Amino acid sequence: MSQPVQKGNYDHIIVKKPPIGDRIKRYGWFYLMFAPVVIVLFIFYYAPMYGISFAFYNYKPNGKEPEFVGLANFQKLFTDPTFWSSFKNTLIISTVNLILATVTSVVVALLLNEVQKAIVKKVMNTVLYLPHFLSWVVVASIFMLLLQPNGLLSNILYSLHVIDADALAQTDWLTQKKWWRFFFYVINRWKEIGWGTVIYIAALSGISLDYYEAAEIDGANRWQQTLNITLPSISNTILVVFILNLARVMNIFESVFVLYNSAVYSVADVIGTYTYRVGLKPTVGLPNYGYSTTIGIFKSIVSLILVMVTDEISKRVRGYGLV
Amino acid sequence: MVYKFSLTDPRYRGRSIFAIFNYAFLILLMACMLLPVIKVLADSFNADTIYGFNLIPTTPTLDGYAYVLARGGSEYLRAFGISVLTTIMGTFLGLLLSTIGAYILIQREMPGNKFFGYMFLFTMMFNAGTIPLFLVIKAIGLYNSLWAVIFPLSMNVYNLVLMRSFFEQLPSALFEAAEIDGCTPIGTFFRIVLPLSKAALASIGLFFAVAMWSEYVHYVIYISDTSKYNFQVKLRTLVIDDTFTLDSNFNASLNTVKNAAIIICILPFIFIYPFCQKYFMTGVTMGAVKE
Amino acid sequence: MKKNILTKAATVAVALLIVSGLSACGSSKNHVALTEDGKPESISVMATTILTENNGHAEFCAEYERLTGIKLSIEKPEHNQYYEKVGITFAAEEPADVIELGSTYYPSYAAEGVLWDMTDAWESSDLKASGIVNEKYVEGMRCDSEYAEDRIYGFPNQRGNGTVTYARKDWMDALGIDTPTSYEEFVDMLRAFKTIGDCDVVDSNGVSFKDKYKGQTVYPLTVSGLISTESPYEIYLREFYQDARPDFHYDEDQGKYVDGVLEPEMEAALVRIKDAWDEGLIDPQAVSNKTSTCRDKFQSGIVGCFNYWAGTWNRTLDKNLKQKDPTAEMIPLPSFDPEKEYYIERPAVAYVITNFCEHPEEVFENFILYSHDDGEGELLFTRGVEGVHYEVTERDADGNIVSAVALPTMADANTDFEKSFYDAALTITTYKDPIEVDERIVNSLAVFDEYSILYDMPIMDSTVAEQLPDVETAKQQLLTNIVIEKMSVEEALQTYSDATEKQREIILGVLNGSDE
Repeated sequence: MSQPVQKGNYDHIIVKKPPIGDRIKRYGWFYLMFAPVVIVLFIFYYAPMYGISFAFYNYKPNGKEPEFVGLANFQKLFTDPTFWSSFKNTLIISTVNLILATVTSVVVALLLNEVQKAIVKKVMNTVLYLPHFLSWVVVASIFMLLLQPNGLLSNILYSLHVIDADALAQTDWLTQKKWWRFFFYVINRWKEIGWGTVIYIAALSGISLDYYEAAEIDGANRWQQTLNITLPSISNTILVVFILNLARVMNIFESVFVLYNSAVYSVADVIGTYTYRVGLKPTVGLPNYGYSTTIGIFKSIVSLILVMVTDEISKRVRGYGLV
Repeated sequence: MVYKFSLTDPRYRGRSIFAIFNYAFLILLMACMLLPVIKVLADSFNADTIYGFNLIPTTPTLDGYAYVLARGGSEYLRAFGISVLTTIMGTFLGLLLSTIGAYILIQREMPGNKFFGYMFLFTMMFNAGTIPLFLVIKAIGLYNSLWAVIFPLSMNVYNLVLMRSFFEQLPSALFEAAEIDGCTPIGTFFRIVLPLSKAALASIGLFFAVAMWSEYVHYVIYISDTSKYNFQVKLRTLVIDDTFTLDSNFNASLNTVKNAAIIICILPFIFIYPFCQKYFMTGVTMGAVKE
Repeated sequence: MKKNILTKAATVAVALLIVSGLSACGSSKNHVALTEDGKPESISVMATTILTENNGHAEFCAEYERLTGIKLSIEKPEHNQYYEKVGITFAAEEPADVIELGSTYYPSYAAEGVLWDMTDAWESSDLKASGIVNEKYVEGMRCDSEYAEDRIYGFPNQRGNGTVTYARKDWMDALGIDTPTSYEEFVDMLRAFKTIGDCDVVDSNGVSFKDKYKGQTVYPLTVSGLISTESPYEIYLREFYQDARPDFHYDEDQGKYVDGVLEPEMEAALVRIKDAWDEGLIDPQAVSNKTSTCRDKFQSGIVGCFNYWAGTWNRTLDKNLKQKDPTAEMIPLPSFDPEKEYYIERPAVAYVITNFCEHPEEVFENFILYSHDDGEGELLFTRGVEGVHYEVTERDADGNIVSAVALPTMADANTDFEKSFYDAALTITTYKDPIEVDERIVNSLAVFDEYSILYDMPIMDSTVAEQLPDVETAKQQLLTNIVIEKMSVEEALQTYSDATEKQREIILGVLNGSDE
């Protein structure tokens, strides 16, 4: 397979490769080291993959032979208008959330990096990442208090004369179609902003002080240093984290589930919540594992496309991608 | 990089003004983060059921905590022990698998390297769900064993790829030097790669630890013996289960108990993160590479 | 190249696994031998609303074995994942002999034909002949399967129970309100509740309501969702729904199945809900409230009316309410129309025997019927094991237990043991519980009993089941369209009617077609 010449700090890559036999021999030790990883991967990830074939069956937990239905499950999925609306919501909510997550976490990580006192930095870091450990159920109940009629937000807006007394008493912010996504993003950031910084702070610690010293000598100010040294140094981490998270955007579920309600289905219903309502937790009928597998495959393919596109963009712009 | 705080010295004025704003912003952010956590904390000491944003207990009590500890007694203690055990084992195993995997993935000349990369990525997007994994786990005899929780969680592709991105930052000169010095790949791995990746090990180790600690579904599905459940499962049952009633001499409401359980569950991570940060100190990694 | 070899190898491996995985789906029964006296050697049970493992699981099984000679193995998965786990055990073809199934899952599993038909065994049983069991509840379990109509596939564990409307007695007294006897009086009561914060009357501690609720929002009535997400849909806002039945049901007058949402009774109910909402009598957060939010509100003393489970929950709510405000009092309200029974008794939770069970008759006899024998079996299945879960305080001359007291649970020395499998207060037999039950539990159950009507098992034809989720979503939106989007009732009903046209046609086609 041909490989483009790598840019960046990939200077160790030898473009002209020796014969394959020699290379395999040379890497013999590596294959040996790798064996346990492959074994675990195969047992727990690849062995269960046969379950993907369920998508072509009507497979219910009724102890009966699954019935082969061909592409019927896919047909059912693609002809369901509610599904497409939830698919659209998933893409919008998840992607916007991911972009906001990346930007806010990087910014906060950089700001924290400017804090000089080690102890202050530690305390701030710890405080910022604490909300991550509250479960979504708890987070939702706390924010519902703030956003309820007569709640904190409504009272602030009322005292600023943004809303009138009727709205103060009646507006439940989480039932407003216009506002639901906004609050969803805010609550998500609140919960995960600090946790998101952990990886960047680790990456920041890998930057050699030599670079800064050299820049200092060249007369670069702190802002220029940030732009020219800090950001480029962690850009690889930012990109990797972004693409990795992109692979998971279709899985969004719990955060939406605890915050949405019937008034905002049209803007909030994502694939996860939709399938939960119609199939995985049946209030009626038995779960059809075939159908849920079909939805899973659809999500996987969309993720695959998202990742491949981003990876390709990354390759064009930066010269290398995820693999 | 000498810098001192001064508003008069023109050399430092810009950064000092920035520092003030920066601190102000971060402190404000911290306050926003803390308020809800403080609410949970306050409610955990409050015997009343509170509907509202009280930050001071109206009827202070310690019985919420007493109840969690007493009700559980040996049960909760055991669950806590299982949490600690699986977290340590899972983190260790997870770091082992992801560092080895990442180390292989940075061997760009190694035949099959790209294939391995895609092999990992594929599992991030495609998985067959609970039922097939259940049948596999049952078939290999791990059903009802803690390994059924530890193994699937310690093979985490997300963390593995992240680890690789850290390894990629290591200068290639190091590997060449090691090879010239006669280091085997395993020797290089243990003597060069791991010692230089403390920040990566600390942060990704934290990811593993948190994932292991908060695991819930794997226990419930792949383990039938409830005495093997971890603290998180007991906590979830306590917080979500509406059916249990608290009719006792404790001066506490259901809410007090729930909030106390939440706080107990968070507690370890208040202490673990500062410990991890020891390895995040600037310059640790590259300092060793100076030529 | 190497890559191709590996790719091929991986493909072959995956293909092999697919084949081996699917071929593993052969059917086999759990093998259990019978003892000489015709009892199974062991019975496996999967259930969720039962005693926890650290509360004397082992002692329960030992006592059961002592009494019947049968080994019992009980698996109790965590509550939230229970039905997922049940599904998995069926998928793995190793379900327990006896499984507990709630009232939506029971008819679903029955419809699939995987449950053992216990109708004949029940009808020929000595227990039925003895008249101990209230047959209303057993007959209520009848449903259709793929193979037969109107058969019994599950035995009720206890009565289905349901919800009653609790009201703040101290508020009523302070405001001079009597128990409402009509819808108008009920609404007047809510109007008065809204003004409790202006009331100068002092409570028994000498604090006026005005001071007590200063700066606080009070809610005349709170509810989580204006229509339930599962059948029975109209269970919570009973006073408003009254005779409306927003589900697919058989209408006696029209002689066919109808969609209750589009019947005139529902329109009247929606008007009542809309008016009360616009007047601010219903918690404005009703749409986004979780059930736990409603409980928190009620227990913190700021809610006038709250419809919730009868029985044990009355005690819990009351206890937490009094913790905050010792003068607070709550009562279950009777139906305001004595002629109408308007609380809903849900279909009972079923204990079923699967088709995988090797000796279903024997398991039925020795486990299910035994637990409703109005004797040692029922005592064990409600109150647990003597000396472990309860202590006898008095016996009559024949050695029968006259009275007993519950012992503290093994896990918590301060909590009394409540039940092993079933709630004694909700027994379906003539059983007399020897242990005195909290007055609040008895009281709310009595009110519930007097004014409740037992609902049928929901219809669970698989074609119908497939269409229902969309209809349920539309029902939710019908209500939010009225209260949040401010549509008129006619307009919202039209929207519902348009959105569900296709589903309605299919469902009513199946129901009315099959019934003729």
